[in-house]
Amino acid sequence: MSEEVQRYGGGGGGVGALSLDLLGQVLDRVREPRDRKACRLVSRAFARAEAAHRRALRVLRREPLARLLRTFPALERLDLSACASLDDASLAAALAGADLAGIRRVCLARANGVGWRGLDALVTACPKLEVVDLSHCVGAGDREVAAVAAATGLRELSLEKCLGVTDMGLAKVVVGCPKLEKLSLKWCREISDIGIDLLSKKCPELRSLDISYLKVGNESLRSISSLEKLEELAMVCCSCIDDDGLELLSKGSNSLQSVDVSRSDHVTTQGLASLIDGHNFLQKLNAADCLHEMGQRFLTNLAKLKETLTVLRLDGLEVSASVLQAIGEGCNNLVEISLSKCNGVTDEGISSLVARCSHLRVIDLTCCHLLTDNALDSIAENCKMVECLRLESCSSISEKGVEQIAICCPNLKEIDLTDCRVNDAALQHLAKCSELLILKLGLCSSISDKGLAFISSNCGKLIELDLYRCTSVTDDALAALANGCKKIKMLNLCYCNKITDSGLGHLGSLEELTNLELRCLVRITGIGISSVAIGCKNLIELDLKRCYSIDDAGLWALARYALNLRQLTISYCQVTGLGLCHLLSSLRCLQDVKMVHLSWVSIEGFEMALRAACGRLKKLKMLSGLKSVLSPELLQLLQAFGCRIRWVNKPLVYKD
Amino acid sequence: MEGGLRRISETSFKALPSMSCNSTRNNDPDQQGGRFNSMDQSCFSRPDQSFPAFSPLFGVQSSSLYLPDEKIGNQFEPNSSLNNPAVDWDPQTMLTNLSFLEQKIKQVKDIVQSMSSRESQVAGGCSEVQAKQQLVTADLTCIIIQLISTAGSLLPSMKNPLLSSNPAVRHLSNTLGSPMGFGFSCNQQPSTNNEATIPEITKTPDYEELMNSLNTTTPDESDEPMKCQNPCGGEGSEPIPMEDHDVKESDDGGEGENLPPGSYVVLQLDKEEILAPHTHFCLICGKGFKRDANLRMHMRGHGDEYKTPAALAKPSKDSSSEPAPVTRYSCPYVGCKRNKEHKKFQPLKTILCVKNHYKRSHCDKSYTCSRCNTKKFSVIADLKTHEKHCGRDKWLCSCGTTFSRKDKLFGHVALFQGHTPALPMDDVKVTGALDQPQDSEAMNAVGSIGYNFPGSSSDDIPNLDMKMADDARYFSSLSFDPCFGGLDDFTRPGFDISENPFSFMPS
Repeated sequence: MSEEVQRYGGGGGGVGALSLDLLGQVLDRVREPRDRKACRLVSRAFARAEAAHRRALRVLRREPLARLLRTFPALERLDLSACASLDDASLAAALAGADLAGIRRVCLARANGVGWRGLDALVTACPKLEVVDLSHCVGAGDREVAAVAAATGLRELSLEKCLGVTDMGLAKVVVGCPKLEKLSLKWCREISDIGIDLLSKKCPELRSLDISYLKVGNESLRSISSLEKLEELAMVCCSCIDDDGLELLSKGSNSLQSVDVSRSDHVTTQGLASLIDGHNFLQKLNAADCLHEMGQRFLTNLAKLKETLTVLRLDGLEVSASVLQAIGEGCNNLVEISLSKCNGVTDEGISSLVARCSHLRVIDLTCCHLLTDNALDSIAENCKMVECLRLESCSSISEKGVEQIAICCPNLKEIDLTDCRVNDAALQHLAKCSELLILKLGLCSSISDKGLAFISSNCGKLIELDLYRCTSVTDDALAALANGCKKIKMLNLCYCNKITDSGLGHLGSLEELTNLELRCLVRITGIGISSVAIGCKNLIELDLKRCYSIDDAGLWALARYALNLRQLTISYCQVTGLGLCHLLSSLRCLQDVKMVHLSWVSIEGFEMALRAACGRLKKLKMLSGLKSVLSPELLQLLQAFGCRIRWVNKPLVYKD
Repeated sequence: MEGGLRRISETSFKALPSMSCNSTRNNDPDQQGGRFNSMDQSCFSRPDQSFPAFSPLFGVQSSSLYLPDEKIGNQFEPNSSLNNPAVDWDPQTMLTNLSFLEQKIKQVKDIVQSMSSRESQVAGGCSEVQAKQQLVTADLTCIIIQLISTAGSLLPSMKNPLLSSNPAVRHLSNTLGSPMGFGFSCNQQPSTNNEATIPEITKTPDYEELMNSLNTTTPDESDEPMKCQNPCGGEGSEPIPMEDHDVKESDDGGEGENLPPGSYVVLQLDKEEILAPHTHFCLICGKGFKRDANLRMHMRGHGDEYKTPAALAKPSKDSSSEPAPVTRYSCPYVGCKRNKEHKKFQPLKTILCVKNHYKRSHCDKSYTCSRCNTKKFSVIADLKTHEKHCGRDKWLCSCGTTFSRKDKLFGHVALFQGHTPALPMDDVKVTGALDQPQDSEAMNAVGSIGYNFPGSSSDDIPNLDMKMADDARYFSSLSFDPCFGGLDDFTRPGFDISENPFSFMPS
């Protein structure tokens, strides 16, 4: 598609002759943001068309926000979650001059600086607002939520981890937004049964509700059971909910499709069985880490969901081969099953499970230590559609099993072989899976450049590669990867300590790279970092912890080139105050910095650096010794901007 | 029994208050002139005058624990004639009464004189004048009562029908009714009444009736003659139902307890004792304590003799004597329902109840809630309880209705379309303080220190673009000079830049 556009663009006048509408249609079909950008730069006509047609906008910096909002009047989706140092004043100012009548969806996740004034302005400016995401705005409370509640047309709202929200705020929302269909209250620990009760009385349209980590009890489930359209209910780690609550829930209308009771300690199979009695169209059942033993009634009830159940998670449950067989016979349509950390999972059990469940696509067998190649053989034989296979810590499997999988499951997109002791031969087989997107090989120390060369040559779609502690990997592997897997976004090279600057030089050609972990690569220096910073323009997260040879030169390169960097770990690096100051004052998107044990940085250095960036930082990790020597007003200022500081309790050491 | 509490034990039968005042006055006639000010002192400053509580004879004299005491200034002298209704009137007593009357009249005269002279001088002092007026009224009432009782003391020597058929006395009692009522509403009442000779005549029902009509009665007053008239009931041991005992109206400590009068001992503490922060005092250094145990601990410091196990042990109740009688407490405030002379007297259970009751009902409410600034309390615990809920328990709906409980509010909100809970205004302030003022304050702090990094303040939006990272200046260390040059401006307690910064280094 992008080539096509390029050709049109090359015509120049031809494109200009097309109407804005048509150009807009063309642009709508361009998926990749990078390609759209190319179009925009090709001709004015496209730029105009995009201005008129652009629906979604993700803003990374505060400064251009006002201009952008004026440029794109047709916006429907506005994502401000990554907008650095956004606060009430700047948001209100940006909204004031723009026509935002079309905006339906706003994401303000982690926008800690935005308070009720900003939200007030937003809701006033966007009358058609339907979806608001306030997740992880830890400072948000009732006042903020009340401001959002003024958006009467709201359909979806996420208040995840808005720690200050109480029943009062919830009441504001449920009264103000009666059309609410989807609501997440995860981690809003102040909300109680009373609030949930009001919610279920006032929002009859609710389809999806998340009450995870709340301190609500069975009474809430009684109220929730009156919601006739509820399809999705998540109650992760609700320790006040038990079987009685589930029984109350089962008395409601038979509408639930997805239930998540994972980590709710007091739920047993008995309760789940009664829940299934009442809701027999369940599609997804997540009972991870809450069940301890299997009940017969639950098994027989699971069979009632034969037609519908597609996702089943039983992590941490004690299962025997017979149980797995029963599940396999009962639930033929399973697409996803998770048995991670289940004791008693054997080859026999897996083969009897997969014998009937040929539709399985996702199989999680993490930490099922008893499994051997036989299990992989039976999976390969029965589940040709498998896309995701998690085998972490299944230490008895070998390249033979991997070979079977690679041969029989051409659709494999994700495989986790962390700590499985596979070798280069296994990678050679895996290379047959050309669709592979995610490959995790952590702790497989026998993997070498040779194996990775196979992967690089065939798995061109790879976006995530984990080589944690693959100590035999050298620069050559990186060269091969950089050649073959251009799409890699996430790369973990921690403790691969043979890697040097020249290896990083190869990484520089991975333009898509967003997350890079280089922990404890003691040989890399500022030169290597420079080439990464220059080449990987999209770098968002960089971990340089214990890279002892990194000095100011590396930081200066980052400061100059890694303009999108959002998370940075430079603990133990040999940087000085000057480098730190420069880094923090230059990088506009930087929000999360871990800088523990920077023993070459003086107190003034910290002080200056933090002052330079205090409007932008949202998370900091520092030595607790600094707490007393940094100026109180600086700490106050950081706090005022919504920055959370994690103090590491270790002694403060200086070097000169 | 010598618990340091000054006890006045008397029968509820006693119609008129404050024996001790009375005795004081009679013994120290010279104090009468200055009584207006020293009255309280005369009551409270002489603990040595307190009655020796419960002489052994006390329990023997009658089965009733109510002790009728009949003599003025004659504290519980074991006297066989005390309870004898047939005792003749004593000329000596009569003389004392008359001299008291004389003094009283002189005293009232003094007050009125001082008032008239004061009025001519100062126009102000309205409240003082009022107080004096009340005092005069009270004194006059007292005189009248004294007069009647003195006259009444003659009655036993006459035939009962004589008085009852004597319309003059009845008329007198009727006319006296109203001033008495007024007098009793006055605070000074306890000291102004004199019941000195009443006991001697109270055994006659006619006199009872008279006193009842004088509005000075207590329920027990009418009980007593019933006891007397009831030959078959062992007096006192037979519970006599209190007719209009209001059980519902029980506050601090009453708890609707319905002890029959006579089955318990009534103790009355003085106002000062109630209000005293400490009740146990060290005899050596005078330090006060709230608890006896603390005093005992304290005493150890005064010498080894206080360190013996015996000295440190909890003083045990005399197990040899008869079991301690049930004690209940009376409020010293006359006219109060908790005062033993009230018609519907309801005793207080414990000393703590007395303290709380007295502070709540008869003291200034000196503790004001710092949140709402309207609610006042005289007991600090009440304030604390209120402060826990103040502001918070005002669950307010957008329609203006308030609720004491959140679930009630939510029930209301659920019921009515469009109603929403109103967020308390405190919260607005709190969040406001978090968002803006602090920001701007902090912002100012930055400004004043003189560092302006790009993006470090919110109003620099236009300036931000000029400091792009492509700017080569950033790679010269010189460009940092402006930043670090101002370092001396740092002024921060405990952190002086001129010091060696590495002096913070541990070891």
